[in-house]
Amino acid sequence: MPRVFITGLGFVTSIGNDAGTVTRNLRDLRHGFELYPPFQKPDIPVKLVGTIKEFAADSTDPEDWTFPARYKIKRELLRSMAPNGLFAHCAMLQAIDDARLTEPDCSNPLTGLYAASGGSPMLTNYHHERLQKVGVMRCSPLGIVSAIVGTLNFNLVAAFKIQGVSCGFSSACASSAHALGYAFDDIVLGRQKRVFVVGGEDGNTDAILPFAGMRTLSLQTDPTLASRPFDAARDGFVGTGGATVLVLESEAEVVRRGVQPYAEFLGWGQASDGWNVAISHPEGSGSAAAMNLALRAAKIAPEQVDYVNAHATSTLIGDISEARALRAVFKDSSTRPAISSTKALTGHGLSLAGAMESGFCALALREGFMPGNAHLTQIDPECGGLNILRVTAPTPPQVVIKNSSGFGGANVALVFQRA
Amino acid sequence: MPDSAQSSSGTGKPIPPSSKPFAPEDEAALREALKRCSPSSFEAAVQFRKTGNAEHVPAVVIGVIERFVEPDLRMKLKDADDDLRLIEDLGIDSLTMMEIVILVEDVLQMTINNDELRNLRTVGDVKTFIDCKIRGLTLPKPTKFLPIEHIGAVMPIQPPFLFLNEASVSSTAANGKYKITGQEFFLQGHFKDNPVMPASIMLEALGQLAVLYLLEGHIPEPGKAVNATQIFFTGCEGVRAHRVCKPGDILTLSIKPKRNKMPLATFEGSIRVGQEKAVIAEEISLIFAYADAVNLPVPISAGVPESAVNGIAAPAGTPLRAAINS
Repeated sequence: MPRVFITGLGFVTSIGNDAGTVTRNLRDLRHGFELYPPFQKPDIPVKLVGTIKEFAADSTDPEDWTFPARYKIKRELLRSMAPNGLFAHCAMLQAIDDARLTEPDCSNPLTGLYAASGGSPMLTNYHHERLQKVGVMRCSPLGIVSAIVGTLNFNLVAAFKIQGVSCGFSSACASSAHALGYAFDDIVLGRQKRVFVVGGEDGNTDAILPFAGMRTLSLQTDPTLASRPFDAARDGFVGTGGATVLVLESEAEVVRRGVQPYAEFLGWGQASDGWNVAISHPEGSGSAAAMNLALRAAKIAPEQVDYVNAHATSTLIGDISEARALRAVFKDSSTRPAISSTKALTGHGLSLAGAMESGFCALALREGFMPGNAHLTQIDPECGGLNILRVTAPTPPQVVIKNSSGFGGANVALVFQRA
Repeated sequence: MPDSAQSSSGTGKPIPPSSKPFAPEDEAALREALKRCSPSSFEAAVQFRKTGNAEHVPAVVIGVIERFVEPDLRMKLKDADDDLRLIEDLGIDSLTMMEIVILVEDVLQMTINNDELRNLRTVGDVKTFIDCKIRGLTLPKPTKFLPIEHIGAVMPIQPPFLFLNEASVSSTAANGKYKITGQEFFLQGHFKDNPVMPASIMLEALGQLAVLYLLEGHIPEPGKAVNATQIFFTGCEGVRAHRVCKPGDILTLSIKPKRNKMPLATFEGSIRVGQEKAVIAEEISLIFAYADAVNLPVPISAGVPESAVNGIAAPAGTPLRAAINS
């Protein structure tokens, strides 16, 4: 079976806008939370966000946005972007540079792009308000492509002249993990030799605050207490946005180009809870099934897994479900594998989460460490019987699993190995 | 009620500025809408909205176009002639054209139909179009761009004596370009070891552009067409040469009709090389005659679909409409 490798990464995240910074913050367990100015109002009980530093993209007008001067983006491209498009465009430029890809490498029929974002609720609202206010014929001609789910792939495919596969994935918080899985399949099947996988989210008021209605957001004002996956006192997740890009390539391309990959992508699995539209299965049945299928596909035994980057978002129900799934899959779960949720540092990136945390796994495999589960004071007894890392372990993992779960009980598990 | 309700009203009647007086909140909205345009275009928009005086419109339109053009191309608009092309020269695609239209509609309080946009190819077209809309005038024939193949096909004059490489023709003017290659046969003797374009040939080139205007821009009597074999030079006045033109120079020719009534057509003409004046002709006169039209050219007025335009097919990518894939 053809082998698939991760050869390039790009990050615009709450814990850093380049791989080096992200690695340092993962090792040192430095979070990216701040009191988010638009939330500091009496009627908004949520206060913290995993903010994107160096970028200001809260305006509905892309020409108001500011971003680091190292990125040059023409108005012609900016005008059709959502904030997550801006973040992803910059992450793409990093990933292309990181993987040492030339323009012909990016633009050919065997190079594709899969993307996942929740679209841009902010721009959807804005353009819909304009429609009501000024009439249909004076709506921006780019209102649709900048706002709807799919905005990420529309913009990136056009901007980077992608000629291979392109598609958007929409399974909520499992979206970009699904995108990675299907990109893997395309390369294994020989349909593509290279696929960019992109996750992005606006991470602003309109993207995050609707989750308050589900009572899933943490109301903490102290950043060190807000996102505490597996902790007994956790009270919900902290929202975040940004973007991550992973470059997946076939072994033949890795050899031809002579690049050093971050990690090998061994296989993946998915399974659904068939249970509830928004609540995860109490026993984590879908998550456990996804992990078992992924391990089988990757030809890896559970005891070979060194580290699991958990989906755990710091919600009351979700973390318990995943803990049960982990105990079911890993027989000697109290000693192996090491487990952590890096959402303690970044917050929950929704559609972005799977790609962002797979990027973290790639860094951990290449740099040889396992990031700790920050902000963990007292493990919830319901989440016991697991080797949850309280601090970063300097041990190089050989095999890691990345879990992602989304609304509707969609579960994805991805297996990576040190290259 | 959205303004778009009147979008099907066509161009036949003047569109007066909003009947209610221009209020401070209108000015604030205008300032916000034009915040990325030059202060002068904002001032012009305020004046137009207060007075309805169409003289202010060109400054608004140029200001709006400028705002949507990439900064490195904006210099072109600074001393733009009306022939500056939106797509080819300014890089404006159909989506950007929509952005321009929406902002112009918003600022001038008018409504523009999709069909009306298709023929807008140059800065001059846009200015004329908006001006006609506001004054309630019928739109002139849109500018046609004629490549050398088309010029060769319609002109009675042929190489090696044809001195036009490309041309654009509207009902009010014709413009052309000719590059002096150095291979022109007469340059061997004019002058000895010193090739200089004869002034008489430059006058000939202007005359040829006037012939092209008669064939492509002049609106003939109903049922008639200008007979290409019956156009001749009769005279000229006030001709002055200002600059020696040599191989490598690109002549920019323009003529404007002064009076056209069969059998006499008079024009004024000029040739520039870059920004330098080369030749001025205060008056060039041709005589011409009509023949019965074989294929009746349909005069273009507002609202006539492009498919009705006789003659040249529009180049690919012309329709100024967003390509919608979904």
